[in-house]
Amino acid sequence: MSQTSGNAPVGRVVATETLPAGTHQFFFWSAIDTPIGIGAIVRVDDGAGRSVYAVVVDGKGYSDLASPLHEVVVAQGDPAGDRAPTRRTEVRLWTAAVLRQDPEEPVQPVPLADVRLATKEDVEVALRMDAYVRGERPTGIPIGVYRAGGLSAPVCMDADFLLGPESAHLNISGVSGLATKTSAVEFLLASIFQRLPAHKGSVAAVCFNVKGPDLCFLDQPGELTDADRELYAVLGIDPRPFDRVRYLAPFRADGVNLNTLRSHPDLVADVQPLVWGLREVLGFHEVLLNRDDIDAKADGFLDFLVDRVVEKEFRDEWGTTHRVQSFADLDRLFRAIFDGLEQAGRSDIWRTHHIATIRKVRNRLLNISTRCKGLVTDDGSVSDLPFGEFEDRTVYVLDVAGMDQVAQDLVFTRVVSTLREHLERRALGVDHVIVFVDELNKYAPGDGQDTYVRKMLLDISERGRYLGLVLFAAQQFRSQVHRRVVGNAGTVLFGRMDMDELATPGYQVLSPATKIKLATLPKGELMVRHPHFTQPVFVRFPRPAVMSGPTGTKRFPPSSDVSFEEAVVRQLTAMDRRIPAGRVRDLIAGRRDADVRRTLLATKRARPDDPFEYFRAALGPAVARERVAARREGVPLRSVEDPYAP
Amino acid sequence: MLTHAPPPLGAPFGSADYVEGRPVRAIDVGGAMPAPEPMAFIDGIQRYAVEGRIGLVPIVRGYVAAAALRRERGELRVIDSGAQEFIVAPLRRLTADQRTALERSGLRLLDCMGAERSHPILDVQLAAKVVEHRRERIEIDVTRRTLVADPETWLVVDGSLAGIDDLSGDGATRILGLVKSHETQFLDGPDLEVALTLPAGHRTSVFARTAGQRATVYTWYLRLWPWEDHELLHGLVRIERPPTPDGVDEATSVSRWLLSERAPLSAPDSRWDRLVYPIQQVETYLRALAGGWW
Repeated sequence: MSQTSGNAPVGRVVATETLPAGTHQFFFWSAIDTPIGIGAIVRVDDGAGRSVYAVVVDGKGYSDLASPLHEVVVAQGDPAGDRAPTRRTEVRLWTAAVLRQDPEEPVQPVPLADVRLATKEDVEVALRMDAYVRGERPTGIPIGVYRAGGLSAPVCMDADFLLGPESAHLNISGVSGLATKTSAVEFLLASIFQRLPAHKGSVAAVCFNVKGPDLCFLDQPGELTDADRELYAVLGIDPRPFDRVRYLAPFRADGVNLNTLRSHPDLVADVQPLVWGLREVLGFHEVLLNRDDIDAKADGFLDFLVDRVVEKEFRDEWGTTHRVQSFADLDRLFRAIFDGLEQAGRSDIWRTHHIATIRKVRNRLLNISTRCKGLVTDDGSVSDLPFGEFEDRTVYVLDVAGMDQVAQDLVFTRVVSTLREHLERRALGVDHVIVFVDELNKYAPGDGQDTYVRKMLLDISERGRYLGLVLFAAQQFRSQVHRRVVGNAGTVLFGRMDMDELATPGYQVLSPATKIKLATLPKGELMVRHPHFTQPVFVRFPRPAVMSGPTGTKRFPPSSDVSFEEAVVRQLTAMDRRIPAGRVRDLIAGRRDADVRRTLLATKRARPDDPFEYFRAALGPAVARERVAARREGVPLRSVEDPYAP
Repeated sequence: MLTHAPPPLGAPFGSADYVEGRPVRAIDVGGAMPAPEPMAFIDGIQRYAVEGRIGLVPIVRGYVAAAALRRERGELRVIDSGAQEFIVAPLRRLTADQRTALERSGLRLLDCMGAERSHPILDVQLAAKVVEHRRERIEIDVTRRTLVADPETWLVVDGSLAGIDDLSGDGATRILGLVKSHETQFLDGPDLEVALTLPAGHRTSVFARTAGQRATVYTWYLRLWPWEDHELLHGLVRIERPPTPDGVDEATSVSRWLLSERAPLSAPDSRWDRLVYPIQQVETYLRALAGGWW
């Protein structure tokens, strides 16, 4: 490769009638042996104080061969024939897209002058980083290292345009399995946590782990190469795992084993159960209930429940006062209604709602705790994100990978909505919260019927930046995500892309060479679009300094599910290894599972200094069981069929 | 289809002496063979234009250039070049003031020795002769410098060795003239028929012709491409070489080198059947240098 001593010219601008030098694009030739490549940033000076910065977006090489037939003729049809003694004259012709002109006005065609590779300072100016990486209140967030011709220069994004308020949100696309999307986000979160200046306020991240163990070991150190450390040094970031990570995961259906791959005894104590009751989920019944099932009548009855019944004193027509706080309470209310109507032997209408509608809603609502078992409890126990007490520079990982799609939707919707509510009141505990969700195409698909989740994502993407609610979303195929969701992402990252995806209309603005580069991008490289960058820029980022999912599950193999009793023992001893397992077993012997489960949840949520004492006190003394006489079964209503019974 | 009679040839016939046997015969050279390295290629260009007239006197602006490209490991690089721009006119028909005015252009004034009587066409033809002569001179200058710089390098010059008189004193033995036009025929009768109907990959036996004022050169014909289905001169070149002791023995080797120069093809140049690619590249370089003269 040619030596580019100092900042010697590596090319010259050419302009013909058919290939003119424009204001936003120009052509230049270089030596055959050149450090220039797609994505290289170059500078052209006119010698009179005007400089043009541009990025190479296309390259062509051709010779003076007029027709391939001429080669066939001289080779007499034999490709293995004698080589020609003279190599044909060949040219490397590059297309460059203008990033910036200095001075900015008047915008003029690029001068026909020497082309030089950009220096570190040139990269700053070309990408307009000079406006935000220096000065009294810098807002630069490193995203990666630009490399060309032996130069390694940090590329920074503007926090005002990444976390708001100018613009916000980040979208990342790339084929799966190349450790790009999740790795890039992990690295970027570390970059934000370390480099977000104090004047920009506090920030936390909520990450939804939707598949495998990807985000389960963010607090564990990962393996880095010397090349990675070099990149970290260039970017000014300390390669270390996250200092503060809070893990939350629902239980499995047994209500005591955690549904997460971070269940190794050495780590499981850090995992807080994610458990919700009726109050937490009823406001999001639209997520859980099929719109085809819930007609206007059912909707009306649901509204009645939310407005008049849940969390309120409600007195029915038969003299009973209900306070519905859990699914169990709700079931009691429904039974009271059915019994009351049955005993009265009169109308099949209760408070203008037909009993069929009431039965239908009952079946659907009570089914939620079955479908989301492990997340939603019947008894109203709650273990949730610390809304209002979010801590600065803390990652909250919600491991929902083991849940079905509906439950994932519920978690996502409720968490994001609650974050929004708190941010609107400036009562979350931090100024900015980054929500990272993978597989965005599942939550905000470009086609299909409108869903509650998609509406919420649209709302965040369009208004979240004013609140400090920032969406970092990833997907394999950007074209399959709703246009307004991806369109509102101020910053867009691309890893290696699928050629079919690149053929979709959303990528028409990219040159063919850029598309090819995207389709063959190695691990650890990204194409970045950011509001300050007038053209996409390629950067390399280091491996995140955290343990990868596969490595984590190898080093900390998940525990297999154990018996109820054993699970309780393990979770308590994981909180304090001094707790004797035998005492725990004695304590819970003969107790109702629900009581033990609720107490264990409270203990984990409270994180007391002495978990065993707390658990023992909360569980209370054992009460002898008393046999109750069997209740006489009621006679079913004859006049009303229940077509919706499960 | 032609509409006008072609201009008369300047020197349609020349004389030849047999060197490699008698009569002239066709010799199969045995196919192409890689040429030795390094090898240099020299060519020149000339341009002229009537810039205006002072009275009836044409003022011709001329431009000549020559360059040598050296080939090593397949790559051509310019090793020497020269260019001149000048004004040619029949100076005797201009006044002193008119000459002074022309000299103010900064260009050298050359006399084309026009006749006493004005002739709008003849005057320009005479000026063109001067331009052509200047081109030959600059080619010889470049050739001489190249020979001095690297006497071991084989030189291939486009055209005949017209300046051989000037080069003979430099011990130029590794120089080849590659003649593409066949205006002057040195052979006659059956010899000429053998030469003009050579099969592809064949050469004629070597013969000698007078070159310049005193010297003679060895020369032979070589058919680069089959001429069947084409006109008679298709793919036919004539090679000239100073009369060295090895001149005859090496004729076959030299012919084989030149056969290898068929690739790359110099198409789409209309002379592709006789113009070897490196010479075309010298022309391309000179045309690029000529800029506005192109």
